[in-house]
Amino acid sequence: MFYRLSGTYHTSYRADRRLWKVPTDRWLVVALLVLGAFAPLYVSPLYLGSYVLPWVIWSAAALSLTLLMGLAGQLHFGFAAVMAIGAYASIHLTRAGIPFEISLLLSGLIAAVIGAVFGGAALRVKGLYLVMATLAMQYLVDWVVVNVPWISGGAHATLRTPAVSFLLLPLDSLAARYWLALGWAVLLTVFFMNVKRSSFGRALVAIRDKDFAAAVIGVDPFRTKLMAFFTSSFMGGVTGAILAFCFYRAVTPEQFGFNVSIQLVAMVLVGGLGSVIGSWLGAGFVLLAPIFLTNIISALAATGWVPVSQNFLSHLPLMIYGAMIIGFLLLEPLGLAKIYDNIRKYFLVWPFRHARS
Amino acid sequence: MQHDPIDTSVALHPDWRPGDTILARLAQNAAQYPGEIAMRERDRGIWQEYDWRAYLAAVTEFAAGLEAQGIGPGDVVMVIGDNRPNLYFAMLGIACLRAIPSPAYADAPTTELAAQMARENIRMAVAEDQEQVDKMLEARESWPALELVIYDDPRGLSGREPAGVMGFDAIRAAGAARLQAEPGLRDALITRASVHDIAVLMHSSGTTGAPKGIPLKHGHVLSGVRNAAAAGYFRQGEVHMAYLPMAWVGDYIFSIAAATELRFSVNIPEAQETALHDLREIAPSLYFASPRAWSAMLTRVQVGIAETKGVKRWLYDWFMPRAMAAERARLAGKPGAGGLTRWLGEWLIYGPIRDQLGLARVKRAYTAGEAIGEDVFLWFRALGLNLRQFYGQTENCALAVAQGPDDISLTTVGRPFPGVEMRIDDAGQILLRGDNIFDGYFQNPKASAEALVDGWLQTGDAGQIEPDGQLVVLGRVSEVVEKRDGTRFIPTYIENRLKFSPHIKDAAVIGQGRDMLVAIICIDFQAVGQWAQENGVAYTSYAELSQTPRVYDLIAGQIAAVNASLPHGLSVARFANLHKEFDPDDGEVTRTRKLKRNVIDDRYGPIIQALNDGADQIDFKARITYENGQTGSLDRVLRLADAGDS
Repeated sequence: MFYRLSGTYHTSYRADRRLWKVPTDRWLVVALLVLGAFAPLYVSPLYLGSYVLPWVIWSAAALSLTLLMGLAGQLHFGFAAVMAIGAYASIHLTRAGIPFEISLLLSGLIAAVIGAVFGGAALRVKGLYLVMATLAMQYLVDWVVVNVPWISGGAHATLRTPAVSFLLLPLDSLAARYWLALGWAVLLTVFFMNVKRSSFGRALVAIRDKDFAAAVIGVDPFRTKLMAFFTSSFMGGVTGAILAFCFYRAVTPEQFGFNVSIQLVAMVLVGGLGSVIGSWLGAGFVLLAPIFLTNIISALAATGWVPVSQNFLSHLPLMIYGAMIIGFLLLEPLGLAKIYDNIRKYFLVWPFRHARS
Repeated sequence: MQHDPIDTSVALHPDWRPGDTILARLAQNAAQYPGEIAMRERDRGIWQEYDWRAYLAAVTEFAAGLEAQGIGPGDVVMVIGDNRPNLYFAMLGIACLRAIPSPAYADAPTTELAAQMARENIRMAVAEDQEQVDKMLEARESWPALELVIYDDPRGLSGREPAGVMGFDAIRAAGAARLQAEPGLRDALITRASVHDIAVLMHSSGTTGAPKGIPLKHGHVLSGVRNAAAAGYFRQGEVHMAYLPMAWVGDYIFSIAAATELRFSVNIPEAQETALHDLREIAPSLYFASPRAWSAMLTRVQVGIAETKGVKRWLYDWFMPRAMAAERARLAGKPGAGGLTRWLGEWLIYGPIRDQLGLARVKRAYTAGEAIGEDVFLWFRALGLNLRQFYGQTENCALAVAQGPDDISLTTVGRPFPGVEMRIDDAGQILLRGDNIFDGYFQNPKASAEALVDGWLQTGDAGQIEPDGQLVVLGRVSEVVEKRDGTRFIPTYIENRLKFSPHIKDAAVIGQGRDMLVAIICIDFQAVGQWAQENGVAYTSYAELSQTPRVYDLIAGQIAAVNASLPHGLSVARFANLHKEFDPDDGEVTRTRKLKRNVIDDRYGPIIQALNDGADQIDFKARITYENGQTGSLDRVLRLADAGDS
């Protein structure tokens, strides 16, 4: 009904490999880009600042993590620590007088190097053991940040981000910060999609499926795994810096705690491992669903429809939220991305049940 | 022919300009629109493009190379294979040398090919691939005069060619070298042929006896195309899908003559099997298919819809019958109901189905060759395709009579194209005259004299002209037969109506000189198989499915429905489901799927007799032909049944 495929043909393999080969998908992408770019014009500052902006940034974080977990199959339960490194590094670098643009890159590099060092464990261990190794990173980084005053300014201190501008655009208005975050998230999205169809992406998938089988077909597991940790940590580090500068504007160690890491893993799993659209949907779901549920239930409680105690009321949204995650993963273990894919395919073969040709 | 053939032709066609050939049109396109895409071929999933400049270069280089091999004016060269750009280039390259390309069906067996070579004194052949080359080599054993076989697809041949076999590319390279060395040669090659030269040698289907050669001159095909273009039948720059056999006149007219005259882009599918998929990729603006192919497409959609459930099924069942009813009313002359229903249906059902079929951009959809089923015709028109019927034969370049865009009717095939005269003779036969009518069969003056009387083509089809000038084709004049009681009928007429049922793929109605009409039915495996699945009928093979009692009940019901619409005395009384489909390899149908009645009468005589005798079943010794040409026999028990009463 929405998808019209006739008249789509390719005169070179290069054209056949392009992203978005279906015209409808292209229109959808353009529409979403326009909607996203002009969001500051039609979304109220309250919603933009507290819903849309964090969604965009956490989508970027989920994309960074899903490169590692979804494509390369390396579990990482300490990704908030990687973002913390990026966030603290960028603040200290800009305070030291380095231009914001360069300090973004440098903070990404620092996060990448430290992330890759811990990722080195992945060369020896897999699965649950790798989870332990990355958890160690989480706690180690937490400990260092809290206990080295030179980094955090003390256990209970808050580190304010200095006023900066990005490519001559001062980051003091909400719209400017939103645009920077959106730009970064779009950049990561495009990068991710291109990685998936590049030789590097295929090497990552080979490692994920079986690392010694990948070695047999000529993929170097050592190099590829390190590259995966390095790339993913770089993306995570810059995202952490963006999170600090565009959203929090003042960072404390608790903002990058273990629970944040778990939340990131949840985003990736609920969205669908290794999927671009899944990262966006997963981040949106994990971030926004509890807020909406709380709003709806408190509205219902206010009208007296849900006669429950105040104490139970604060737990009810979380219970429903948990049930929803379980429900989604039962319904479709491959995540929200797969649900989207099913819907898309339903319309792709419309009005038939299977592809006809 | 005693006179110089050119002089005779000049006398017949004084209006033709000598240099007005397909080759001149090609050269003009190459000069004026060198970069425009003339041809695309799907090769390993990717469409390889040829622009007009490359097209002309390929044609002239091949012609120069072929001339070096000793081909000259009047030589006949066989072209055999599925549609490939190089085969099209070869056809025109041969015409450059004033030699005659003689296309043959790709699935023709070696014996038929050898007979064609002997009849036409063929010395060279252009073959598509290893399979065709092997057939040529085999034919050479009985026709040693075949000097050279040129192959297109190098797979399995390159580097290890047998004696007397060369690659298309090698010929082309030699030709390119000649063109380089002789500066004037290229222009000479393009201008050498005259409008009075034969552009292509087609063949009659050979329903009765050996096929006759039908030479079509440049002037014939070009005037045919121009007549059709004047009637709005073709437009400039159509996107066309070349998937029909190259040996069929329609493909020559669409893919070469009209394509060069009107600058089509001709798109060639990867293989016959992928034609429907590739059709969707290209989304042509002009689409021709036989009634059988349209019907197969409808069956495909119906099977697809039968698999759906829920919303999709419900929407289809709601919108499609309404569109059919609206179209039926429109054909009956009442204003079609448009409005919201049509608009919504277009968005929900009609548009998506057209898109799924690859017909989304088709502006001109045609069918010809035999009668099309009312349901099929209405269904596609209801879908929003302006499907039209036309009428023509190889002898008149297949372009004689067609329905206009606005006066469509199910029974008529339309009015003659401008430039074509038509009348009905005393015997009820359709006669045609015009510049697109051929000048006589190839080296067969006797048949020519029978076919052309005072310039009027004796089509052999029985027809009548309606008061509004539209032609109704009834059937072959020669096919009118009588039952023992003298009732006259045309078997094809009844068979076509039987075939309109989605469950009946082929039918043969027999009754000449007998008391009753009986039918041999070939069920449609896909449609009946789907029906069997839905109704819990178990089967393993075509043969088993065809003999199931419930399938017999199904077919009997469908025959009864047809009987109800036939005049009294012409209803089919009894029938048998055949254990196999009619197959051109078994000689029961021609390659264009026309029934060979004498073969059927002969081979299935016992079944026909048993049907007339009223028996319930028959032990039948079925003759089968294996792939390698050997024959064997298989014992089959066939059920015989009464059709429902009319």
